[in-house]
Amino acid sequence: MSALALPSPREEAWRWSALAALPALAEATPRADALPVAPAFGGPHLTFIDGVYRPERSNPGPVAVGAVDAASAHPLARLATAPGWTLALGDDHAAGLVEIIHVSTGGANHVPARIALAAGAQARIVETFVGDGWANRLTAIALGKGARLMRALRLTQASGFTSLRDEAEIGEGASLVTVALGAGGAGSRIDAALTLTGTAAYAEMGGALLARGEQRHEAAVVVRHEAEKGVSRQIWRAVADDTASASLAARVEVAEGAQKTDGEQSLRGLLLKRAATVNLKPELEIFADDVKCAHGATVGELDAQALFYLASRGVPPAAARALLTHAFVADALDRIGEEAVRDAFIADADAWLEAH
Amino acid sequence: MLKINNLHATVADKPILKGLTLTLNPGEIHAVMGPNGAGKSTLSYVLGGRPGYEVTDGTATLDGQDLLALAPHERAALGLFLGFQYPVEIPGVSNVQFLREALNAQRKARGEAALSAGDFLRVARTQAGAMGVDMDMLKRPVNVGFSGGEKKRNEMVQMGIIDPKLAILDETDSGLDIDALRVVGDGINRIMRKPDKAVLLITHYQRLLDYVKPDFVHVLADGRIVRSGGAELALELEREGYGALAA
Ligand SMILES: Nc1ncnc2c1ncn2[C@@H]1O[C@H](COP(=O)(O)OP(=O)(O)OP(=O)(O)O)[C@@H](O)[C@H]1O
Ligand SMILES: [Mg+2]
Repeated sequence: MSALALPSPREEAWRWSALAALPALAEATPRADALPVAPAFGGPHLTFIDGVYRPERSNPGPVAVGAVDAASAHPLARLATAPGWTLALGDDHAAGLVEIIHVSTGGANHVPARIALAAGAQARIVETFVGDGWANRLTAIALGKGARLMRALRLTQASGFTSLRDEAEIGEGASLVTVALGAGGAGSRIDAALTLTGTAAYAEMGGALLARGEQRHEAAVVVRHEAEKGVSRQIWRAVADDTASASLAARVEVAEGAQKTDGEQSLRGLLLKRAATVNLKPELEIFADDVKCAHGATVGELDAQALFYLASRGVPPAAARALLTHAFVADALDRIGEEAVRDAFIADADAWLEAH
Repeated sequence: MLKINNLHATVADKPILKGLTLTLNPGEIHAVMGPNGAGKSTLSYVLGGRPGYEVTDGTATLDGQDLLALAPHERAALGLFLGFQYPVEIPGVSNVQFLREALNAQRKARGEAALSAGDFLRVARTQAGAMGVDMDMLKRPVNVGFSGGEKKRNEMVQMGIIDPKLAILDETDSGLDIDALRVVGDGINRIMRKPDKAVLLITHYQRLLDYVKPDFVHVLADGRIVRSGGAELALELEREGYGALAA
């Protein structure tokens, strides 16, 4: 295999990335010893093992499997040229909750996907990443007038790396909400470029990154407003324990003419140990004059007064830290609209908190 | 029950407690009064084990066990409860959630079985009702958006649920309206006036002591107990102030 061309940490957009393990993973052979992962939400579901669709473990419902009409120049996502999946819904069609399970057993796998919702169509998708190895994904999203897409991404690999790249075009009055939980793998990068192309479109992307040990998790999202009256929300929480690092880069671009844009970025970091690192980088680039963009970025530690208050009532230190950390990430995960999905994500976050 | 002997403590290297000695026997309620800055809250924090409060000399035992050697949550499991002068707000953590966790951690430490969610809610409802606090408030995040008086009532609801052996109540009466003062006073008597329990009541005012009759009243000034007496001492202080003590 030819040498993998990876972005350099000297490039601004990749300065916090931990890609050093990827060349070895790209050369490795998957063990193909995947344990079956049961779907959690009872609807249509697709299982990919090491990037290969497994019909015997799937019930694809409205999703088509095969070559995908998506391509990207993104340095990682451009590798995703294998067969993948497509969810295309016609005008006013609504799909039930679709679950996609990605199991990796070592090595690297690169899978593209396309979600195209015509006017008024609605879909909800949950993706779960488990196992180890490098799971690399490109998801191209096109939302027609008034379409609504809700996505939830759960990164819970035991080791290895998960890299996700979303490229979305959001049409007039359409809504895209993506909530991610980055709590697994030695490293991860959740990367997105969301463009509001139609008037009064809505884009939301956020979630929680939980990093411990030597893990390095990051999210890098660019939201671009190209039309008037767009609303965007980026609400992220980053928790870093031990010597881990969790990094958030969130950018809002408001193009000339995108008047009455309403953008908000809320980036908050929590350091559970002094040797841990949280990087926050909120960015605004505005070429229109009538816009409202709010951004906040704060990093802190657990509140010592709250810890003592809990302890004075008998809560042991580990449980007190878990309670406060849960509270810290909950408002980001609470954005998941579907109750069963929200509960599953919060349960995963709690499992992470208790696994110490 | 509680034996404090020659306790010295510093905060940020500044000596605050300077040889404080005090004994509470089972069944007793002691009031501690004293000027602002005398070290009353410091005493409660030192006994609770708050980080930053360093004991430089002396001892404190609860039922013969060395309190000062234990972590704060272990002191709670031993039966110590602190009512805070300024209860802490904890966004995102509900009262019921944390209290159930607290109570069950204490029970576990004492080798008792955990309470089920249903049993816990019954206890919580009873204690909240007795304090005139509705359950909706208990489901809200700890003390967030509570008024000053509501926070103090919430401390008493927590005390009722936890049912401690020894309560140190730091100005639980401040911020309470006239009716709430009676409710809180009745609550302290109901929960804590028992032959096997004791209370250290830190207060500036006689009002609370009309409802909760102290067996002993102490004056804490400049880090020590400078005078002790019966309930009548509080009335004398109210009449004459702390200045007369110098004489
Ligand atoms: N972190 C700190 N650093 C320095 N001094 C402190 C600190 N905390 C408390 N003190 C000082 O310790 C002294 C005792 O304070 P404490 O809160 O115990 O008084 P108190 O008797 O409870 O007063 P009040 O009646 O006003 O509640 C005060 O002089 C206070 O300023
Ligand atoms: Mg005080």
